[in-house]
Amino acid sequence: MSAVYGMTQFEFDEENDLKNYDVWFCDVAHGSPPWKPMFVLHDWLWPGYRAIQRAYEYLSVPTSTGWDIRLKDGYVYVSVMLTSDEEAKKRAVVFREKIRPYIEDAAGMWDKRKLELMEAYEDLKKTYGLTTYESISDLSNIQMLELFDDFLQVVSLQWNVHMDYFVPVNYLYGSFENMCQDLLGIDHGHVLFSRVMSGFDSKSLETNREIWVLGARAIELGLEGAFSDIEDPEILLDELEKSEGGQTWLGEYRAFLDVYGWRCERMLEWATPTWLEKPALGIPSIKMAVATKGVSSIDERRDSAERDREAAEQELLAQVPADQKEWFATLMKAAQVAPYFSEDHNFYCDLYIGALGRWITREIGRRFTEAGALDDPEDVYFLVDTDIHKAMIPMGRVRLQKRVEERKKEWQGYLGIQPEMLLGNPAAMAQVVRKDPVLSPAFAIPKVREELKADLYGGGSAPGVVEGVARVIMTEAQLGELQPGEILVAPGTSSQWTPAFEIVKGIVTDGGGALSHACIVAREYGIPAVTGAQEATRKIKTGDTVRVDGDLGVVFINR
Amino acid sequence: MEPVVLGFDEVRQDDADKVGKKCANLGELTVAGFRVPPGYAVSLTGYERFMNETGVRRRIEEYLAGFSADPGNTADMARYEEASVAIRGMVEQTPVPADIAAAIRRRYEALCAAAGEADISVATRSAGPASHPGQYESYLHISGADEVVAGVRRVWSSTFNQRSLIARARQGLDVAFDPIGVAVLQMVDAKAAGVMFTANPSDGDTDKIYIEANWGLGESVVGGEVTPDSFLVAKAGPEILERTIAEKRTWFTLDPATGRPTYQEVPADKKSAPTLTDDEVKEIARVGVLIEGHFGGAQDIEWAVAARAALPESIMFLQTRPAKNLVEKKSAVDRALDFMMREF
Repeated sequence: MSAVYGMTQFEFDEENDLKNYDVWFCDVAHGSPPWKPMFVLHDWLWPGYRAIQRAYEYLSVPTSTGWDIRLKDGYVYVSVMLTSDEEAKKRAVVFREKIRPYIEDAAGMWDKRKLELMEAYEDLKKTYGLTTYESISDLSNIQMLELFDDFLQVVSLQWNVHMDYFVPVNYLYGSFENMCQDLLGIDHGHVLFSRVMSGFDSKSLETNREIWVLGARAIELGLEGAFSDIEDPEILLDELEKSEGGQTWLGEYRAFLDVYGWRCERMLEWATPTWLEKPALGIPSIKMAVATKGVSSIDERRDSAERDREAAEQELLAQVPADQKEWFATLMKAAQVAPYFSEDHNFYCDLYIGALGRWITREIGRRFTEAGALDDPEDVYFLVDTDIHKAMIPMGRVRLQKRVEERKKEWQGYLGIQPEMLLGNPAAMAQVVRKDPVLSPAFAIPKVREELKADLYGGGSAPGVVEGVARVIMTEAQLGELQPGEILVAPGTSSQWTPAFEIVKGIVTDGGGALSHACIVAREYGIPAVTGAQEATRKIKTGDTVRVDGDLGVVFINR
Repeated sequence: MEPVVLGFDEVRQDDADKVGKKCANLGELTVAGFRVPPGYAVSLTGYERFMNETGVRRRIEEYLAGFSADPGNTADMARYEEASVAIRGMVEQTPVPADIAAAIRRRYEALCAAAGEADISVATRSAGPASHPGQYESYLHISGADEVVAGVRRVWSSTFNQRSLIARARQGLDVAFDPIGVAVLQMVDAKAAGVMFTANPSDGDTDKIYIEANWGLGESVVGGEVTPDSFLVAKAGPEILERTIAEKRTWFTLDPATGRPTYQEVPADKKSAPTLTDDEVKEIARVGVLIEGHFGGAQDIEWAVAARAALPESIMFLQTRPAKNLVEKKSAVDRALDFMMREF
């Protein structure tokens, strides 16, 4: 037994954890590459999973009391705490009434709650007088310490809200999937199902639209040449300062960043800069927008996507017996909140908290470095709260370099590991997923059908078939390498990757189920995708020709 | 003195305690402009005066003084049958006071005049002040003024049928006296007749209408003697959603040999034929919605299609009352939840 980064709370117990749980699966959709200690402990692990436990208990989810987690080899492993049949029956009675309001209007409730969350973020800034991004450096060390602790409370609040919706919304989606399977023999890979689950707007797509507007504006202001000719984003920004058109554009870009710039380069990590911190981060996306003449393909699809969805809804309903139509439609409407919520909550939850986290911890890192407690501000991500509590007051008395070195070495070791996708009994996975409808949309198990003789099998997909040249991209920083018309192959994708969807023609990911970002946005863009293929980034090399079959959920590799 | 007879146009639904619920509702329907067969009501006062002024009530009470049986004991049912026969005999042999009989006759003659026909066929139907469905009796195809008076008296005497005696005895009510009204209604020469619920009885869906129909008089449907045709209609439209045409083996109609209505075999060519055309179904449903709207709340309506009239004048309404025991409609959310909970 080895506690990852010394975090015994989440230590994987080889003996007991495999006795008590049939199977654990590796969360590569979110946690690849491996997170650094500060994020994984303070954002992901306990606050996140505590909130899952809380939601499962509040709702009295019949078949499960929540998810348990372990850290092993630097990666997060998840398992489900299943109930007995008797417990499930008892819990079902309470669950029925608790899930009811979500069937009736989950979207309406979420739309209110997300604004309350935004207010909590604003309140945090206000409490510390943080009227501008730069003003954080004006706080005293004791104020920074308090801000850090208060921020962790806000992280907790965010997770509560997040899971208060994630769990029931996904549960209803999972139930609807089961219903389509049972009643109509249609599963989530079916084209009709996909169409019913697309054609929705979200904050994520709104952000994309604004990027494309900035692209169009750049063209209007005569800056097209600069955007296409100058490769380096930093140099491009300097160049824009020199012209009047450029300055106008920069003003609009800053206004955009004030609203949409609260996002780290990697959605779920504090160890990467935010767009507010480093405006150059947004430039590759804007370049894509300029290259497509400011015309976003998703905008073009907006109206037809909605009509397509409505037509698909009718087509699906037509297959349902007359006396079942009304409640089928009711569950369908409730399930449709899932793709909307999935994309929308990124902005209000993951991205914003990530950016606040970055903002605060980077400043702490900067101070420690100035005082000689760290060698590099980015090393702060190898620290945890106890280190900060110890070394903040008085600043400079404690040197943290040794602590950083130990953990950094450990982390670098994990970077080189190929994590096992499943621990325990892989055959148990199907049963676990069936029993917990919340699980499958988030984490999919690949459906292996030997007769197809495919190279990769996925757990989630967006329909369509396409062949093309693959480009394997492991982090957001590499997104600029993508060429139009390529097939994107990645560990997973998050909102950060949305602009890429404008130019690629297919997507394959290691992790992620039917409600993963990759699936949802691929559907919106009408791009074939296969997600949850587990070994895509291992088996496919940049330059390979691949055929992505989103109808069957398989990938073929030709070299 | 309270009137003994009243035209349907003279009563409203609140007058149940004067003329009985059925007459009150028929009056309400008439005044609201719905097509009800011509007729009139004999009030509770008629019953009360008949029973009191002729002394028959006293004679019944004397009889009952010497009668003992346990209404809760099925073994005593035969004794109640005996009592019923005796008491009904007393009632039906007692002459109706002259002015009451005259009033009944006068109204009947007015009906004949309006119909342009002598001795039209009427029904005398019981109309209890509170809903006692099926407790009392109705008599069909009565013609001639004297027969009508006798028909009214037979309805009065039906308050002493076996099950009514037992019911009153069980509830500690006055066994010798149970004032009801009587509806005297011109017989509809029914091609088809039946009932209509202004909601789907199987799930309480109030957006639907459910119609059951058979050939001939509606008694075969009301009495549940026959498997009728059924139609599920959406109120919006109205639009016929489902038609179930049954094998209709018998119908309740006039036996030409006896001049009395009985259950007879349906002619071969009509057994599987639809009793109603789509237009008739829609018209019945359309008016059903209006009746429901007038009374408020789901209704249980008896209707008939007159053979010799054209649509829409052919559609007649014979009764309406609040629909009882309708399944509470489950909301779509509840049914979705039922599906989800099925697994546990």
